[in-house]
Amino acid sequence: MSSDTPISTAQDALTRSGIDRSLRHPVMFFLMSGSAWLAISMLLGLISSVKIHNPDFMSDCATMSLGRVYAAHVNTLVYGWGMQAAFAMILWLMARLSGKECSMIGSILTAGHLWNIGIAIGVVGILAGFGTGMPWMEFPPFAWPVLLVAYAVIVIGSFIQFRVRPEGGAMISQWYLLAAMIWFPWVYLTANILLHCIPGHPVMAAGINAWFKSGMVFLFFTPVALGTVYYITPKVTGLPIFSNQLAKIGFWSLAIIAPWAGMQKLAGAPIPIFLPYVGGAATALIFIPACAAAVNNLRSILANRETLALSPALRFTFAGLISLVILVICGVFLNLPNSTLKASQFSMAGYSAEILAMYGFFSFVIFGAAYFIVPRVTRREWLSRRLIRWHFLFSVYGIITVAAVALIGGYLQGTDQENWELPWMTAAQTGAAYAVAITFAWCMILLSNFFFFIHLTLMWLRLGRRGPNPTLLTNPHAADALDSAAH
Amino acid sequence: MSLPNQKPELEGTDIQRRAAREAAACGREKPIAKPGSAPISVWVLAACGLAAVSAGAILGGAGKGFDYNKIFRDGYVRTPPPGGSDEGPPPKAAMDAYMARGKKVWSSKCITCHQADGKGQGDNFPSLVGSAWALGETERFSMIVLNGLHGPMSTGKIYSGASGMPSQNATNDLKPEDLAGVMTYVRNNFGNTKGDVVTVDMAKAAFSISAKRTKTGQTTVEELTAEHVKDLPGKPLDPKAMVNPLTLMPVFAKTAPDAAAAKKDKTPEAPAPAAGTTAPK
Repeated sequence: MSSDTPISTAQDALTRSGIDRSLRHPVMFFLMSGSAWLAISMLLGLISSVKIHNPDFMSDCATMSLGRVYAAHVNTLVYGWGMQAAFAMILWLMARLSGKECSMIGSILTAGHLWNIGIAIGVVGILAGFGTGMPWMEFPPFAWPVLLVAYAVIVIGSFIQFRVRPEGGAMISQWYLLAAMIWFPWVYLTANILLHCIPGHPVMAAGINAWFKSGMVFLFFTPVALGTVYYITPKVTGLPIFSNQLAKIGFWSLAIIAPWAGMQKLAGAPIPIFLPYVGGAATALIFIPACAAAVNNLRSILANRETLALSPALRFTFAGLISLVILVICGVFLNLPNSTLKASQFSMAGYSAEILAMYGFFSFVIFGAAYFIVPRVTRREWLSRRLIRWHFLFSVYGIITVAAVALIGGYLQGTDQENWELPWMTAAQTGAAYAVAITFAWCMILLSNFFFFIHLTLMWLRLGRRGPNPTLLTNPHAADALDSAAH
Repeated sequence: MSLPNQKPELEGTDIQRRAAREAAACGREKPIAKPGSAPISVWVLAACGLAAVSAGAILGGAGKGFDYNKIFRDGYVRTPPPGGSDEGPPPKAAMDAYMARGKKVWSSKCITCHQADGKGQGDNFPSLVGSAWALGETERFSMIVLNGLHGPMSTGKIYSGASGMPSQNATNDLKPEDLAGVMTYVRNNFGNTKGDVVTVDMAKAAFSISAKRTKTGQTTVEELTAEHVKDLPGKPLDPKAMVNPLTLMPVFAKTAPDAAAAKKDKTPEAPAPAAGTTAPK
């Protein structure tokens, strides 16, 4: 920020601390309610996974039928956890990077409550049977304008902060966050208006819906997560991002490619033939922006392995970037229209890709950032390194199981579905064996998020540890102690 | 401990002390360094190039052009599933297929006048149950359906006043399959048990005969008895022969000549298993 005299450094620290303090309530509100929804979503995911291999489980209860529980699971994951976690990131990072304190706490918290009420009513609506049946948009139609208004109120302050930022160009994080803040209303408004207000041909509606899902992942959650990574990596490692050029390529290629993706899910449907092919090609091409961002950050992270071993934030960020790389490699290999797409189109494999994107990549990055941000906004240190380690390990093993099992099982299931000589039941039975493993993985992920939620609640109540030193994953060696304190 | 914020102006050491107390976490942060300008690794370029090539291959599969009216790939030919044959929908016995088509036509076009039981309605619409003109020569029957009929019947009775039965070809845009189906349906339903199938080929012949008629408008009893008391030309079809339920054509008539030649030796036994056991699931 400025010269290196101890006094100016201390003044800088106080400035940042003031920004953090101004954001304490909004950031903690969104992280707390987000992680509560995440726990609910994991529970619903567990129930729906059990019902895949054990259909009689709670089969007497209409509210708990698979079509409703699964929809509630996905929508709480996306809007309850994902969006609110993204709000916390946007609010904190935009304020920090623009050097401005948050001055709209009241309206942000009000809108935040509106958002949560909208989701709660929406989820009850889904479970009561009023879902729309459109993936990722299952909330009854009244919910979407409410959420959009709440969104606008929550992020408007961050736009203003960016507008009045200090002299100098925007940082890489800000490109991504600002883009995400603009792209979300575009994708959300387009899909909801086209599907709810001016419904056209139903087959095309399914296509728009598939585009919406892809747009939410690649035009909102991905840029929010990448913006966060581009902040956490240089901040925690103390090393610069390796290449500004590569960062630019990564950002603009995402902006150009991502809006084309999504329609490959409709391959074989009677929509204009080029749409699924363009969607498949764009999804494969997302490898480029993701690879650019991942390589750029992973090089800095791997150049500072001592910090990677110590810092919870960096460990989670690292795992999230690895998930991103796996996700986009799958994107290349699962979208070949004449071979693999058929097997992934209607099977567990597609679900696996969604979970890998939403949990393996996005959520891991958010967890990492939360381990960095929460001590700053609450001015308390995390209580227990063991809880952090458990959160990490259970989450990693869980997501590896979900991704690997659902990809392999989904591929086999899809191959069976494609085989016209086999009855459909065979494909379902093929999938059922793998669904057992997914249930097991959901148990682990649910447990890991229980640890996170407990830990976060204690921090929210300001019961965290007081003291100057961070909570690290292992005891740093004496020689590294000074350096590790950077976390 | 002193309270620095009570002093009018902070001194340097106080700022440091306050920062250490209030902003410990922020104080140990490292500044974000300016992004470097390291050259982009060749491996990254190669991997991205590979992804771009496979994306190009995917896009190339669509054929050329961003055409919103095109639902199929250029030159797309439906390929049979591996291990299966490509004969369209599962074949059905001829009588069942023709009756199904006939029922569809009947219930949308004939049922209003001739009623669901085929018995018509008193003075207005004649009954087709046991009717000699429906069960007799097929050409005469087809001319009535295609062109309609008015004037006194052979019994002297006049139905529906002067208007009579309208031409179904003119009002309903019949296809040969529809005509064949509905004629078969009438001849084998409502208690009628003729047992034969009026084939699509016969129906096509009926259309060409109808087109060559010297008189215009609805037929009359005189015209029918003078010119049309004969059966339609065309090979009779075994009611048990397997046909495509959509085209109503025998299943082996549609294949390409070379494929038909290759299948010739199998033809006699092929229809039997197709009856139910190997229908696609």
